[in-house]
Amino acid sequence: MALLEIKGLNKSFGGIQAVSDCNISVEKGKITSLIGPNGAGKTTVFNLVTGLLSPDSGEILFEGKKINHLQPHQITRMGISRTFQITRDLQEMTVLENMVVQSQVHGFWDMFGSSMLKEEEERAMDLLSFVGITHLAHEKSKNLSYGQKKLLEFASVLMSEPKLLMLDEPAGGVNPTLLESIIDRIVELNKKGVTILIVEHNMELVMKISDPVICMAYGTVLAQGSPKEIQDNQQVLEAYLGE
Amino acid sequence: MAEELIQVDLKGKEGAIRVRSKVSLWLKRGIPLLILAILALLPVFQIVEGTLNYWIHMLMYVFLYVIMSSSWNIIGGFAGYVSLGHNVFFALGAYFAGMLFLATRISPFISAPVAGLLAMGFGLLFGLIALRTRGSTFIISTIALVLLMAELFDNWKLTGGTNGLALPLIDLPGQFAKIPYYYYLLVVMVLCVVASYFIKHSKFGLALRAISQDETKAEVAGIPTRKYKILAFGLSGLFIGVAGAVWGSYLTYLRPSIFLTVSLGTSIVLNTILGGKGTIAGPVVGTAIMIAVNEFVVAKLGATELNIVVTGLILIFVLLFFPEGIVGSLKARNKLPSFLDWD
Repeated sequence: MALLEIKGLNKSFGGIQAVSDCNISVEKGKITSLIGPNGAGKTTVFNLVTGLLSPDSGEILFEGKKINHLQPHQITRMGISRTFQITRDLQEMTVLENMVVQSQVHGFWDMFGSSMLKEEEERAMDLLSFVGITHLAHEKSKNLSYGQKKLLEFASVLMSEPKLLMLDEPAGGVNPTLLESIIDRIVELNKKGVTILIVEHNMELVMKISDPVICMAYGTVLAQGSPKEIQDNQQVLEAYLGE
Repeated sequence: MAEELIQVDLKGKEGAIRVRSKVSLWLKRGIPLLILAILALLPVFQIVEGTLNYWIHMLMYVFLYVIMSSSWNIIGGFAGYVSLGHNVFFALGAYFAGMLFLATRISPFISAPVAGLLAMGFGLLFGLIALRTRGSTFIISTIALVLLMAELFDNWKLTGGTNGLALPLIDLPGQFAKIPYYYYLLVVMVLCVVASYFIKHSKFGLALRAISQDETKAEVAGIPTRKYKILAFGLSGLFIGVAGAVWGSYLTYLRPSIFLTVSLGTSIVLNTILGGKGTIAGPVVGTAIMIAVNEFVVAKLGATELNIVVTGLILIFVLLFFPEGIVGSLKARNKLPSFLDWD
């Protein structure tokens, strides 16, 4: 069974049909890439899945359960975490606080417990060392460079131990050395059993690590297959290059 | 030999550092506790000497405003939702306890905690509606609440309309009459500031701060933002409601023109911003300075409107050089004296 199943999804903004009759299924344990020209509806799909937008029609199923009308925090708590195309960090808070804020509160009274429990701090430090920025733990996140913010966001969404990790352009604005390290981290996470869905324009990254690749255009799925199949697909080339 | 010397030297240095950090810790906790002890003992001098009534009154005024600013800080400072209507909680507490007293003779000292819970309940209800909005729409909705309440209380027979309600004076000689109110407000103020500390350092507080930075990010991080904002708004009414009940009984008259003005709601916010919103000591420092300056100008220049001009100018100049408030900006520059660093 697919971990995430999108069926007949529609969403329009005013007169623009951003997503139209879109069907995507993300298999458990795989790295799936979502590619397509600008305006194809990839980020809209992300926003619909994570509950930031609600669909006009269609169904979104996670582990077989319908999540269409849940609120974003409920979806996160079910096991879906996401990063943003342009990183969103909590500027006036430290890197460590940015991490810990993502860990879950279980009951009502937990809310009034200490903001940073010992085990949470340890877990956060482990994840920061996973991406190599432990030395910045007590720095306010607004002082970080863009690349460091990318790493922070990547590490912080792992705090909630997601089953499905959705990365919106993890390579965007990142230099080649950092890119290598991000790719390694994504592969390593996947080996640990995290299912990953990536929106990405960097074809090197897409073709190197993902299978399958899904190509979207005009709000719907144009083609789906192995990296090789997508590279050879005439429709995909046309969508990117025009006719 | 040389190595040994170096080690001894190091030990000496470490020792000195340890002593210094002990002293600074002592100052950090000692000075606020000393001030608190003086505040707690002041009425004893009043009982013996009988000359401190003016000071007692002024300090009660400070306590009251600290309670309001420190409470406001929970929603306005931590979560970043500026409410200009927090004096509504104050009015609710005062009117509830006053009316209850007139009907049943239950002392406001006893009913004050209930008044606080009532104010909190009202805050939850209002938050449920108003916190669907944010930014300027939210601010305007809180001003509308004040105006609406003033209109209601001005015209409602039960609350005495514009004439308000008159409550009897406390049955104590004038020399001692202020003292029970003084202690009540002092205790509520300490509880309120301590509560705001614990809220700031809880998961709830961290989540509120996340909301103030980027609400969408907070929501996606798994925080039920709407629920938390409503709870913060309600909690911020609790201590103000208690203070209202006590203050109403102290004043002995309740009128919409005292409790339900936009300028009162605004001054709660301005005091907090002056001291540093989002910090624990900020509301205390800001309130103390504002009231002291205002009182000084009134004493020197008489009850002209000049005090308003002076406090306005001070606010402008302070915020020009301390954009995050006095405590906030000093802390950001690492120049905050340790005894004011309560975070």
